[in-house]
Amino acid sequence: MPRNLVVSVTLMLVACGRPDVVQHVDLDQSYPTQAGGTLIDAMTGEPSNLISMLAGESAAAAIAGNIFNSLLKYDKNLELVGELAQSWEVSPDQKSITFHLKPGMLWADGKPLTSNDVLFTWRLVTDEHTRTPYGADYKLVQKAETPDPLTFRVTYAQPYAPALDSWAGLHILPQHLLHDQDINTTAFARHPVGSHYYQLSEWKNGERITLIRNPHASQGQARIDRLVSRFIPDPAAQFLELMADNIDSMNLSPIQYARIFPARPELLKKIAQYRELGNAYTYLGFNLHHKPWDDKRVRLAINYAIDKQELIDGVLLGLGESIASPYKPGTRWSNPALKPYPYDPKRALALLKEAGFEDHDGDGLLDRNGKPLSFEILTNQNKERQMSAVLIQRRLKDIGIDAHIRVLEWASFIGRFIKTGDFDVVVLGWSLGQEPDQFNIWHSSQMDPGKFNFIGYSNPTVDHLLEAGRLELNPDKRQTLYHSFAKQLYDDSPIVYLYAGYGLPAIHKRVRGIDSPAPPAGIGHNSYEWYIPEPLRRNEISQ
Amino acid sequence: MTQYLLKRLFWMVPLLVGISLISFLIMHLAPGDITTTEAGFNPKASEESRQKLRKIYHLDEPLIVQYGLWLKRMGTLDFGESFAAHQRPVLWQTKDKPGSPGMIQEALPITLLINILGLVLILATALPLGLISAVYQNRPPDRAITVFVFIGFAVPGFWLALILMYWLGVTHNWLPISGIHSLGYETMTWPAQWLDIGRHLVIPVFISTLGGLAGISLFVRNGMLDVLHQDYITTARAKGLSEPTVVYRHALRNALLPLITLLGLSIPGLIGGSVIAESLFAIPGMGKLFYDAVLMRDFPVIMGILTIGAALTMIGNLLADLAYAWADPRVRRGVAG
Repeated sequence: MPRNLVVSVTLMLVACGRPDVVQHVDLDQSYPTQAGGTLIDAMTGEPSNLISMLAGESAAAAIAGNIFNSLLKYDKNLELVGELAQSWEVSPDQKSITFHLKPGMLWADGKPLTSNDVLFTWRLVTDEHTRTPYGADYKLVQKAETPDPLTFRVTYAQPYAPALDSWAGLHILPQHLLHDQDINTTAFARHPVGSHYYQLSEWKNGERITLIRNPHASQGQARIDRLVSRFIPDPAAQFLELMADNIDSMNLSPIQYARIFPARPELLKKIAQYRELGNAYTYLGFNLHHKPWDDKRVRLAINYAIDKQELIDGVLLGLGESIASPYKPGTRWSNPALKPYPYDPKRALALLKEAGFEDHDGDGLLDRNGKPLSFEILTNQNKERQMSAVLIQRRLKDIGIDAHIRVLEWASFIGRFIKTGDFDVVVLGWSLGQEPDQFNIWHSSQMDPGKFNFIGYSNPTVDHLLEAGRLELNPDKRQTLYHSFAKQLYDDSPIVYLYAGYGLPAIHKRVRGIDSPAPPAGIGHNSYEWYIPEPLRRNEISQ
Repeated sequence: MTQYLLKRLFWMVPLLVGISLISFLIMHLAPGDITTTEAGFNPKASEESRQKLRKIYHLDEPLIVQYGLWLKRMGTLDFGESFAAHQRPVLWQTKDKPGSPGMIQEALPITLLINILGLVLILATALPLGLISAVYQNRPPDRAITVFVFIGFAVPGFWLALILMYWLGVTHNWLPISGIHSLGYETMTWPAQWLDIGRHLVIPVFISTLGGLAGISLFVRNGMLDVLHQDYITTARAKGLSEPTVVYRHALRNALLPLITLLGLSIPGLIGGSVIAESLFAIPGMGKLFYDAVLMRDFPVIMGILTIGAALTMIGNLLADLAYAWADPRVRRGVAG
C-alpha cells in the first residue's frame, strides 16, 4: 500500500514537469547583435567570498572577475593594457609607476571611483591585520600617493618588474563602503559592490550566484543581462544538465570532449565545443637534494625515457601540448628555440650507464654500487596526474627502473611530504601565468620549508637571470632574459615537462560572439561582447 | 525515573568532552592546516603571510592550548567561525553579523528533510515487506522480497542515480536533474515552491530509500520469525484466535520492540548526509559540508559537526532507552527497581 502511495506521489510530481521542449529554431542561422538574455554556467566549487585578496580559490576569481576591476588587465594576446587606468608610465629610474585613471568612473551604487579607492585597497592588502596570503608583492611599495583623484603613483625601493602584473591582479575595492569595516568579517565580502560589467543580484549558498548587468559599469555595457553560475560539484551531473539544456556552458573533460560528444550528433547540433590553451602544465619533479637526482645525467635519462606524446594521447586523449619552457606556448615568454626532449630510451640507457647505472646482477633492474635504481613517485588525488604516473612507471620499467606510485590527499601531500622535503619524485603542476617572473619557484633562496623551490634547484646563472628579470621593466629586454632562463632550465632538466592540457569549454550555440579559434587568453576574454539572440533564449526564466 | 534521567544527562557532559578531545587530536593528526589548503600552492602567496594567518587562527600554539581555547568557546555554546568560508559562523547566525547565516544552520534543514523523508519511506515500505517475508517464510513472496531488497542494497547508488537522472531528466525532461530549487523559485507561489522542492527530491530520496530497505526489512523479518516461534504465539493459536489477530496483535507488537533501538541509533544519522549523493545531486547538505571542511582542514567546522553528531548519538541512545521503557512494561519495572 505505501508503495502505491510512493508511486502515485512520484507520478504526480512527474506529471507536473514543464513540457519545456526546445522550440524548433535554427541554431546555425545568424542573428544580429542584441542585448539581454541569461547565460547559465556550471562551476564545480563555490567561492568562499568575493573579495579576491581574501579568497584563494579559482571559483572566487571567476565570479569576482565579473564584479571588480583592476588597474590593468591582460588583453587577448596576454599583453598588459589599462582597465581602470587609461594609461600608465614608468619613471626613468624604473622605480615608480604612475597610473592615470579613466575619468568619470562610478561604483555600481553611483558613487565616484577615484584614486583614493586604489590607495585604500593598497592599504588594505598590505595591512598586517588583513587575512590575505597575497600581501608580499604590494609590501614592496615604499610610497603610494594620490596627487589627484585620477592619478595613483607607487614608488618601489628598487625596480620591480612583476609590479605591473601585481596591479593587474588586485581588485580595487570601494573605500566609501569599507573604510569603517573590518575586512576580515565584513558582510561586503558576500554582498559586494564593484565597478565591472556585473553586480551581484543573488547568492544562494551552495546553489548558485546570479549577477545582473551593472548600469554604471566602468568599461561600458556588457550585452548579456544576467549571468547565473550554478554550483554542481559532479562533472557527470553537469554534463547531464548541459544535455538537458538546463545550463549553457561547462568545462569538458577530455573524455567528454573527444569520446562522448562525437558519438552524439544531437549534442553537436546544439552545443559548440572550444579548445583553448590551458593555464597550467604537469611535470615530473626530482628532489635534487637526494641521490641520484643530483646527477644531471640521470635526470636527462628519465626525461628521454618518458614518452610525452604517449602521455598526451593516453591521459588527455590528444587534447594537450608538450612544452619545453614553463610558459604558455605561442606567447612572447616561451622560447621558440627549445623543443621538448624526444622519447629515446637508448639515449636514456647510455646516459644512465655513464652515471654508473647498469644491470650488474642481471635481475632486470639497473643498479649502481649494488643498489638498484628504485624510487617512489608521489602525487595527489588528481586523475590525470595518477594516470600519467602509471604510464611513466611503465616506460621506466622498460629500461630497468623500478618506480612505485603513491597517491595522497592534497593537504597531507603538502604538509607531510612537500614541506618536509621527504620525497624522491613528484608529479605535480604549476600554473602558466601571464607574468614571466618565477623567482619563487626557481631561485635558490626559496628552498626553505613552505617555500616553492621545494625540489631544491640551485643554479647561479638562473638566480642571476631571475634577479635581473625582476629589475627590468622593458618587455623586450625581459623577453631575452626569460628566454635564457628557460634555456638553462631546459639544459639542467630539474623537472620533466610532461604536458600542458587544453581548456575545453562547451557552450550552447545560442550564445554568439565567441572568438574561435581561441586567442592565447582563451575564449572568455571578450565575454562581455557575447550575446544571445532573442529567438534562441530560454522562455522559462523571463522575469 | 527523574533521577535516572538526570544521572544520564549528567554523565553526557564528561563523555562529550572526552569525545571532543579525541576528535580534536585525531583531526590534528592529519598533516596540514588551512594555510596549506587555502592558496597553499600559489607562488604569489608567501610563507610569511601564511605564518601570519597561522598566528591569527592560533594554529601556532601547542595542541592542548588550541583545544583549551576551543573548549572555552564551547562553554558558551559558541561554535566559532569557519576559517575557509570567510568567517561565516559555523552553527548559527549571530546578532553582530546579520546576512551571514550559519553553515550548519543552512545545510541541516535540507539534509534533515531528505533523511526524514527517506526514513519514513523506508519504514513505510520495509515494515510490510518484512512482515510479508516472515509470514511467508521461505515461500515465493519471501524469496522475491529478499532478492528485491538485496538488489536495492547492492546496486551502487551513484550509478542508479545517474541512470535515473539521465532517463527522467534528460530523455524525458520530467524531473530536474540536480540542485534543490529551480531558477525562478523566488517568484513562485508557495504550493509551487513546495512542488518544486518535491520534484528536486524525488530521485535523491528514492535512491536513499532503496539502499536502506534491506537492513530494516530483514530486521523486521527476523524479529517476526523469532516471535512467531515463541510459546505464547502457540498459546494464542491454541486459544483459537484468528491468524491476523495472532500476527498483528500478538506477534508484531513484540517484534517491533528492537526497532526502537534501531531508530534511536539512526537519529545521529539523520544529520549526516552522503557526500556522494550530495555532490552528484548538487545538494548543499551536511555530508558535503563536512567533507569539504576535512579537505580544507577547516577545524571549527569539523569540530562543530563532530560535536553535534556526538551529542545527538547520546541523545538518540537516551531516547531509545526511554521509548523502550514506555513501550515495554518489563523494562519499565526494571528501571524503577
